[in-house]
Amino acid sequence: MSLSEQNFPKLIIPPIENLHRLDVYRANGGYEMYRKALTMQPGEIIDEVKRSGLRGRGGACFPTGLKWSFMPKGNDKPKYLCINGDESEPGSFKDRLIFEANPHLMIEGILIAGYAMGIHTAFIYIRGEYHRWVRIVEEAVEEAYAAGLIGPRMKETFGGSYSMEIVVHKGAGAYICGEETSLLNSLEGDRPYPRVKPPFPANVGVYGMPTTINNVETLANVPVILRMGGEAYSKIGAEKHPGTLLLGISGHVNRPGVYEVPSGLPLLDIINDLAGGVPGGKAIKAVIPGGTSMPIIRGDALEGVMMDAEGLKAAGSAIGTGGIIVMDEDTDIPHMLRRLIHFYHHESCGQCTPCREGCGWLEKVLTRVDTGEATSEDLDLLVDIANNIEGNTICALGEAAAWPTRFTITRLREEFEAKVKPTLSLPVLNRVHSLRPSAHEEAAAVSN
Amino acid sequence: MPTITIDGKVIECASGKMIIEAALENGIDVPHFCWHPALSVSGNCRMCLVELEKTPKLAIACSTVVADGQVVHTNNERVVKAREAIMEFLLINHPLDCPICDEAGQCKLQDYAFEHGRTASRFSEMKEHKDKRVPLGPEVMFDGERCISCSRCIRFADEIGEQPVLTFVNRGDHVTIDTFPGTQLDNPYAMNVVDICPVGALTSRDFRFKARVWDMSFNDSICPGCARGCNIQVGVRNNEILRLEPRTNMKVNEYWMCDPGRLGEFKYVNEDRVAAPMVREAERFAESSWDEAYQRVTAKLRTLRPAEIAFVGSAYATCEENYALAKFAREVVGTPNIDLVPHSDPSFADNRLRVADRTPNTRGAREVGVAPDKSGLALDAIIAGVIHGRIKALYLLDHTLPVNDELAAAFAKLDLLVVHAWNMTPAAEAAHVIFPASTYAEKEGTFVNVNGMVQHFIPAVVTRENERIMGMRMSRLDRFGAENDRWTHGRRRDARPAWQIVQSLAKVSGFNWGYGWSEDLFEEMARKIAPFRSMTYEMLDTYRGVELGRGDRPTPHGFTYVAHDLRPQTLAEHEV
Ligand SMILES: Cc1cc2nc3c(=O)[nH]c(=O)nc-3n(C[C@H](O)[C@H](O)[C@H](O)COP(=O)(O)O)c2cc1C
Ligand code: SF4
Ligand code: SF4
Ligand code: SF4
Ligand code: FES
Repeated sequence: MSLSEQNFPKLIIPPIENLHRLDVYRANGGYEMYRKALTMQPGEIIDEVKRSGLRGRGGACFPTGLKWSFMPKGNDKPKYLCINGDESEPGSFKDRLIFEANPHLMIEGILIAGYAMGIHTAFIYIRGEYHRWVRIVEEAVEEAYAAGLIGPRMKETFGGSYSMEIVVHKGAGAYICGEETSLLNSLEGDRPYPRVKPPFPANVGVYGMPTTINNVETLANVPVILRMGGEAYSKIGAEKHPGTLLLGISGHVNRPGVYEVPSGLPLLDIINDLAGGVPGGKAIKAVIPGGTSMPIIRGDALEGVMMDAEGLKAAGSAIGTGGIIVMDEDTDIPHMLRRLIHFYHHESCGQCTPCREGCGWLEKVLTRVDTGEATSEDLDLLVDIANNIEGNTICALGEAAAWPTRFTITRLREEFEAKVKPTLSLPVLNRVHSLRPSAHEEAAAVSN
Repeated sequence: MPTITIDGKVIECASGKMIIEAALENGIDVPHFCWHPALSVSGNCRMCLVELEKTPKLAIACSTVVADGQVVHTNNERVVKAREAIMEFLLINHPLDCPICDEAGQCKLQDYAFEHGRTASRFSEMKEHKDKRVPLGPEVMFDGERCISCSRCIRFADEIGEQPVLTFVNRGDHVTIDTFPGTQLDNPYAMNVVDICPVGALTSRDFRFKARVWDMSFNDSICPGCARGCNIQVGVRNNEILRLEPRTNMKVNEYWMCDPGRLGEFKYVNEDRVAAPMVREAERFAESSWDEAYQRVTAKLRTLRPAEIAFVGSAYATCEENYALAKFAREVVGTPNIDLVPHSDPSFADNRLRVADRTPNTRGAREVGVAPDKSGLALDAIIAGVIHGRIKALYLLDHTLPVNDELAAAFAKLDLLVVHAWNMTPAAEAAHVIFPASTYAEKEGTFVNVNGMVQHFIPAVVTRENERIMGMRMSRLDRFGAENDRWTHGRRRDARPAWQIVQSLAKVSGFNWGYGWSEDLFEEMARKIAPFRSMTYEMLDTYRGVELGRGDRPTPHGFTYVAHDLRPQTLAEHEV
């Protein structure tokens, strides 16, 4: 039976019309899991999340229950929850669907998480360009406030003494704001420079207070876990990375879009069955399985690759945000990489040396590669630059630029070799001068 | 106390310290750009990457707290490779305009490129271009291309200058420094960013393009701008002071000095000096020899009774000079009339370094005896005496008495007005004899600061008088310059420290004091004056200042961080 015919559970995006409306959400059992949470001790909830095996959906797959347990107990300082909806990595567009189709599930997750960690203020940080979805979430939050589901009145609605304020914050439009500590600075109104860690946000976060940062999808899973029980949730999909995943599929496929499936399905089946295969029945040259910063996989190495954290690790890649980008046999890989590195160069915040200087250098060399003004040696240079960035930076944007460079060149080297020359014919003797646009004119002038 | 191992050396250090501090304190210099001990940690240059055993990634030494049992490698293959990578990244877009850069010769980027960089560049693209002449304020110029985005200047403005006007703008390799709209960097400590900028991105608009540092000598001195007594280095070329800069002393000024001190305390050394002893002949001054001037003064003093003679010491002069003056007044002339002029400006004081007393040595002058005893006249009485004709001879040390019309008129009636002067002042204009006096930059001696810290300093500018000792004390390795060395050129002025002038006067009167150096006076002070007891110049240098009364138990100065390592080191630094 092909994947598209199977009836996978739709836990995050159930096929219910108008679920984004509060009345519809409540008619389908909405906010009852928060009510259930109130009957439990905060510690029990964290244990339940630990038992579920839930891992963060923001890219690093960090175990969510463990992250929550890092928050200091007690109320001597205010604590904060930040919901990371910056979603700016090329190929990632799954949180947008939650905002659009099921925002109250996320809000309910926020309430439960807040109750579990003793947090009374949450900031939903949404990507600046997501104008429409900011509005939807704002409306959902307002509706929930009006209904007494958030804010001081929630004590009357649900009983108990816990209450939570939720603030929707629109980003100003930079990829780096998705990096969790950069997000904190951005929230505070500062330049979104990632912070040097330690201290970690659980100790010193937004406004210097203990803070937990979770991805939108991560929190949307929380009410589901309370409904099913952690034990049952942990049985969905791959053992070490359980639950359903929202996979955003783009590129050369017939039916791009976001698909909710259990983790651990074969990547090829996802592409061919769910996404309808490659247009024109062309062969796949390569796939990036988790948003553009994750290592690329060759088309001829896709057989048997499973779509979950461990499966992709075994295949030499990582799941990231689950954004699958499919490239058919006609794709110009060096051009693709050049475009991709242009993005990271443009988005590097410029704080630390290797990424600030390295990303621009990568793009410049890749531009020469793409336009046929490079040699094989330049390919080795690119890999070396990438290696020099990797591991030496303040935040993971360094790796986000280094990985695609290194893996794309080493795994698909023939694509690059086809575009470079054995030697460069320099218009003037000096190599640096030769690469200046004017050098060609100079050379022409001399020969005339 | 955690015990850690750095490059095989076992080190015990206070907990909570960063690895880089623990290393520096133990003589291991982890290369770094952005870290500065007085500023918050930014961790952005990545130059200080080190390997920690059992940690997969390299860690930055400036932001990793020491932990018991930590094993740190600062020089193994992996670290060396990472450092080389950082240097390569820093240099690809750097303009490499060292030949016209003020920082060249004392630039961390140069030093580290030499020490940790590759020989040849692998970068054959077009460099990013940025603005090269951006005034950040009245005193500081910014060159965007030289900037390595270490954020030291931003953190300084926020945390020390307490004027948060600097920020990064743009992103990626377009990042640059700017001031917020409508603001400029003009706090009284702004120019310290020029010193702490590890490259030539921030330059002093006053000094810009004036000299190459290797053509200059840098000798230790004390800023005479106020009673803080900030430790400074005096940068000299062709025997002319081109700039002052702070010298680290954690007991006095930490790493800083104020801009008024930096800009205000050297131009009067270079310009409009009294060139030779001057003797008034009727309405005009005539240059005279030193001996002639001494004779003239002595002859006049002999005609007067001691009670008709008054001395005004100077809080601008050294302890030794004031000591000599007080000794001359009491033992040679036999008058108890001696006092000091206060120079207080409460508007100058702030809560960092600057204090209201605009002289460097009020406490020292007082301690060595420039104060009237019971029978003597205090300043007000001396002035009144001059005005009413009871005082017939007045002897003024360096730049001390503000002269109003009444006083000017009274000066005209004096039998003798002797003034020690660096430049012509209203008091000097009225004098019968002017002695050209050495400024702080031309003499050796001690100042006692507002907190009672006794500090020793040496000359930085050569005069005919100090030439002999200066040869030995020049900071430069090539200090015995030949005629064709440009730095040896320049005029040697004929100025003398007050103790020498006063000693010569005493000698004319038959008192043979026999002081050869300022140090001889200090030895005598250390024997005779209790608060100076047991102190020596050597001790003052070693401890970077000793508090009055603590000559027997001076406070150690602890670890001293010098941002510009390759600057020619001073004698004191060599010895400590
Ligand atoms: C450059 C960069 C961009 C990131 N962007 C996002 C983002 O848009 N959304 C997100 O949830 N996490 C993003 N992350 C990951 C976050 O730093 C963080 O790991 C995540 O929000 C944690 O949530 P989780 O534990 O629920 O996965 C980014 C990380 C980096 C280094
Ligand atoms: S790695 Fe890049 S994005 Fe991250 S802090 Fe450094 S310069 Fe900024
Ligand atoms: S101007 Fe100098 S101190 Fe300021 S960031 Fe640039 S290099 Fe650092
Ligand atoms: S604070 Fe006083 S001693 Fe220090 S630099 Fe300024 S004027 Fe000179
Ligand atoms: S000195 Fe440590 S990162 Fe700059």
